[in-house]
Amino acid sequence: MSRNTSRPSLPLRIWGFFTSIRLTVALLLILAVVATLGTLIPQGEPVARYLASFGPRLGTAIVRAGLHRIYDGPWLLLPVALLSLNLLACVIRGLPEALRRVARPFSLEAALQLPPRARFSLPARAEPQATVLPVLRQELGRVRRHADGEQVVYWWESGRFRPLGPYLIHLSLFLILIGGLVGKFFGVEGRLAILTGETATEFSLAKGEGTAPLGFALRLDRFTVEYYEGSGTPSEFRSDLTFFRNGAEVARAACRVNHPVTFGGLTFYQSSYGSQLVGPVRLKVCRGSECHTVEVGQRRGQSLPDGQGQFMLVRADANLQGLGPAVQVAYKAGSGGGPPHLFWIPAQHPELVGRPQTPFYQAGPHIFTVEELPLKFYSVFQVRRDPGVWWVYGGFLLCLPGFLLAFLRPAQRLAVVLVRKPAGGWEGRLLGASPRAREAFQERLERLLARLQKGART
Amino acid sequence: MISQVLGLVTLVYLLAAGLFLAASLWASRRLEAGGRFALLAGLAAHLGAFLGRWVESYRFALQHTPPQSLGETLRLVIIQVPLSNFFESLVFFSLCLPALGLIAFRRHLRGTLGGVTALLACLILAYASLAVDSSIRPLMPALKSNWLLIHVLTCFIGYAAFALAFGAALLYLWQTRRSRAFPLAPPVELDRLMYRAVALGFLFLSVGILTGAVWADSAWGRYWSWDPKETWSLITWFIYAGLLHARLVKGWQGRRIAWLAILGFAAVLFTYLGVSFLLPGLHSYLT
Repeated sequence: MSRNTSRPSLPLRIWGFFTSIRLTVALLLILAVVATLGTLIPQGEPVARYLASFGPRLGTAIVRAGLHRIYDGPWLLLPVALLSLNLLACVIRGLPEALRRVARPFSLEAALQLPPRARFSLPARAEPQATVLPVLRQELGRVRRHADGEQVVYWWESGRFRPLGPYLIHLSLFLILIGGLVGKFFGVEGRLAILTGETATEFSLAKGEGTAPLGFALRLDRFTVEYYEGSGTPSEFRSDLTFFRNGAEVARAACRVNHPVTFGGLTFYQSSYGSQLVGPVRLKVCRGSECHTVEVGQRRGQSLPDGQGQFMLVRADANLQGLGPAVQVAYKAGSGGGPPHLFWIPAQHPELVGRPQTPFYQAGPHIFTVEELPLKFYSVFQVRRDPGVWWVYGGFLLCLPGFLLAFLRPAQRLAVVLVRKPAGGWEGRLLGASPRAREAFQERLERLLARLQKGART
Repeated sequence: MISQVLGLVTLVYLLAAGLFLAASLWASRRLEAGGRFALLAGLAAHLGAFLGRWVESYRFALQHTPPQSLGETLRLVIIQVPLSNFFESLVFFSLCLPALGLIAFRRHLRGTLGGVTALLACLILAYASLAVDSSIRPLMPALKSNWLLIHVLTCFIGYAAFALAFGAALLYLWQTRRSRAFPLAPPVELDRLMYRAVALGFLFLSVGILTGAVWADSAWGRYWSWDPKETWSLITWFIYAGLLHARLVKGWQGRRIAWLAILGFAAVLFTYLGVSFLLPGLHSYLT
């Protein structure tokens, strides 16, 4: 029984567990390992993909353990929850003391109790106000002074708010974690793809299957993509949107990459775009002077009208490299083997067909041109409502002063005590402490002492 | 023109490294001053080349999108900062090393430590000049943001500070492996430098991650999407957070901190290079 009484009580042990630095370091390590696993195992893929790429046994194990959705499951949430408790416990344990220390002014009594660092002496004719004070002013800035006859004390403090720094950082991390959880459980995230000219009233949810109503109607009036001259790199794409409530137009907005649009509590982010065929494509196929018009659907191989070859529509683009609408066709002449010839047919630029070394070149003997290409752009948006984002941003803002205090403003306290010697002159003592920046403080002390001694001699 | 200047800068850094090493061998103040001067001269030319590239990149963008107003001009200047591909990031990374050494850690930049800094900068710059595609390409829409400048700047200053800590850690481990007949630098000072460089790097990495999150929020609609680059920067952050707690709370010093600094820098390298070349994701802008 005596063994039990000597051990701390259960609540105390739990408290000790949650405030220990060992827990912090262990959790940081676990999180690092979990995050590493998350980058090594592809996330959020269909189950069959894991069985295919990892083999049936390992693949099944990965899916069973939830490692394919590591950032949504207990692997991540559990250590994060523990880390939140750890952070909170450390803040609760240390913050009151830090606040007390900051609130307590650096008094004369406290200055006199600083650990002694060095001694020096001033000759009889030297007056502290004239010799010591200018040096202190130059080296430290404003100092406080107390004199009572035989003793003069100067004292100085910097980085008074340093003790708050780490707590601000930890509180800010706590806010960020809370914001993340709030967003996870109370936020909505999804995608919305609309064809030009069409109106959407719901969007598909990211998590699980299904859709959610927008609460309003949204029409994509126009989608435009601009390209850098002479290259396939898009320079900008934008969607012109109109919002409707109860059938009446209420707002218009342009959504671009890096420039999201918010309406009715939902924010729309331009994420990607594409082209979709909205009717049959008509191509003209010529061999010499003999031409036929053929109607084709996408991704279905068919024979040419003269039976001398086969072709297939591969894909279509409403604005290929800034050249306007185009279709990509795979074509094989004759009936033999060999790989098909792959080329793009730009509807508005038939002159490119004969240009060798380009993706538009057609070697023949059949030459394809576009007669009708009914293409429309569709635009894809990331849709989101995240009530947690303000917690996160609050955390970001809070941690900046925290870092500043913690790393760039070390607490330093310094005092110079001068006592008049009975034989004339002054006996000087240098006191000071800087628990978190000993080296820098030591350098400062040495410089100060050298100047004080030099000042005393002249 | 810019590539010639960068080639010259590489040689000047090499010269500075040689001078610093000679200074520590013969304990010569004069050689050390020479090394410092060479490093400073190289840094000035390097900065000139960086600004020159900025002007070039701005001119390049002018051809495609001539700005209509002062605000647009300013925006174009900001987004055309030469930090948008692998070559430019290497040039800036190698610029940060001597800059940090000469400004933030000027008191530590002596002897072998100066030599290591100059040598690292020289090697990175040489690699950038010789093996990486340096052509200026148009920016993709996602990169056109005012956040580009501050995000990449802070990240790379952080990386450079971690690289200095890594250099100091290597020297420290070499130094303290039994007794060395040839002392490179006082271990106490190396230990101090490791901590200060890590603290500075941690500060900048944190700001880099935060600005990146704010940017991602406006560009992708999520401030955090567990993209491999994001995840690895977080892993790096965890490691250095562990190092700082071990030192500040547990009072670890010396070899253990040095090993952590090396582990941290391995994570930095993987965040910088490994993720871009091995793990595809939203941040694959390097190639």
